[in-house]
Amino acid sequence: MSEEPKSYEAAVERLEQIIDRLDSGQAGLRETLDLCKEGRELVTYCASELDAVGEGLKELRLDELAARLETQ
Amino acid sequence: MGQESIPIPGEPSGAADPKLPGPFAVGRYARKLQEWLRGRARVLLIGEVTGLGRSRVQVYFELRDGEGAVPCAMWLSDLERMGLDERTLRDGAEVVVGGGPDYYPGGPQSSPGFTFRATHLRLAGEGDLLARLEQLRRQLEAEGLFDLQKQLRRPRLPRTIGVVTGERGAARQDFLAGLERRGWRGTVIWGFAPVQDRHAAPAITRALQDLAARPEVEAIVVTRGGGSLADLWAFCDETLCRTTAMLRVPVISAVGHERDRTLIDEVAAVACSTPTHAAEAAVPLDCREARESLDRCAAALGRTAAAAVGDRTRHLAALARGPARALQRERFVLNQSIRELRAAAERRVGERADYQRRIALVVLGRAGRRAAGAAAAAVGESGHRAAALERAGQAAVRRRRDALAGNGVALRAHDPERTLERGYARAERDDGEPVTTAAAAAAAGRVRLRFADGALGATVEDEADGE
Repeated sequence: MSEEPKSYEAAVERLEQIIDRLDSGQAGLRETLDLCKEGRELVTYCASELDAVGEGLKELRLDELAARLETQ
Repeated sequence: MGQESIPIPGEPSGAADPKLPGPFAVGRYARKLQEWLRGRARVLLIGEVTGLGRSRVQVYFELRDGEGAVPCAMWLSDLERMGLDERTLRDGAEVVVGGGPDYYPGGPQSSPGFTFRATHLRLAGEGDLLARLEQLRRQLEAEGLFDLQKQLRRPRLPRTIGVVTGERGAARQDFLAGLERRGWRGTVIWGFAPVQDRHAAPAITRALQDLAARPEVEAIVVTRGGGSLADLWAFCDETLCRTTAMLRVPVISAVGHERDRTLIDEVAAVACSTPTHAAEAAVPLDCREARESLDRCAAALGRTAAAAVGDRTRHLAALARGPARALQRERFVLNQSIRELRAAAERRVGERADYQRRIALVVLGRAGRRAAGAAAAAVGESGHRAAALERAGQAAVRRRRDALAGNGVALRAHDPERTLERGYARAERDDGEPVTTAAAAAAAGRVRLRFADGALGATVEDEADGE
């Protein structure tokens, strides 16, 4: 994979394309291995995105953030 | 108005007057203005009461909406005639007033001023509000403000969500429950604001703007619980709705119950019926399901890669086995031929030895008989000589026979098959070549052990140790 996907949905969309292509059985060995490598990288990216919203709810207050900005 | 001019003594000073009527005495002008205004049409106005105040004789307030305001005043006597509760007329109340423009010319101690003199006042009913709402709705829609938010991209998995709601409202807990249902535990930035009084709309507008200005905020939810249309009126505020329409961040509204339809619902990217639904709209992805699906995806990719390599490896191995099998077949045929040739050669050696033996016996027999004949012919010469000759002939035959037998034994002793009959085994390579050293056996890795009664394959396990 040459570049990092811009969003979770872009990564999932590409992953679905890869799986469709692999399921078609038309990819040669080199392409299959490249697609699997790219697919695994996308899975890792998506997992990291899910991890980012899976560890614990963080609650902030807008007024406190604004006050913090003003004192900086 | 009158056209009467006032004579001014002396010469005028400064710039020349423009060509206008007058100058008129201001007091008279003020009274004329009052008369003129009082002659205007009497109308009903609707708006929100702000800046309510009372004097001994009247109440005064501003009647406002998003576009402007008019100062109003009402005599207490008129207000009492309306039979309103004292607390009904308050700041933030939506009211309908009836009356007309008036002008107070001022007095020696009091300032002049314009006012809308109200003689009738009632709280605005739902019908009034709906009529105003409908008018505003048509206006915003005609300006295309309902479409702007709907064109924004909504992330399926935002990391940070802004929420505008009342700090103590039930909507807050319902929203959190919705997030929990999605399995989402990212960052929520609360923009708490009043959601009901006249301060609500400006505070909500400001919170929306502040949240949208934060780069990490990917979606904003505006929510409050149900209420009457008057309670929800802040969410129909024109400025709030125009601001919402122009934000760069998608806004999800969940104001009131399902049947309530405020104006912010129209301009928002998505309108939901409850705070819980708003949470689900803000995080369209079910995180738990997504994680399971991702695990399945990873496993499928692993299997596909392994199968792609495995299938092709097996195919290649099958292709490679073809020539190997053909070679093995040829080698087997060749070995068979070699064995047959060897056996034939051994048979020929044996046959030749027998032949030679028979020839020798014949030759010796003849020689013996010739010698015996000579002896018989010379029998008259001497019996001893004849006997000696006879002995010599028999001795010669014996010697030759012994020599021939010795040759046969020697020949048999050198026959490798004879060695095998004695219990030895011979090591061969698969191609039939004899393996005569431990090093050669180690190099071959695999040998055939030939016994007198057949051959077996054997694998060399230990390295040659030079013994």
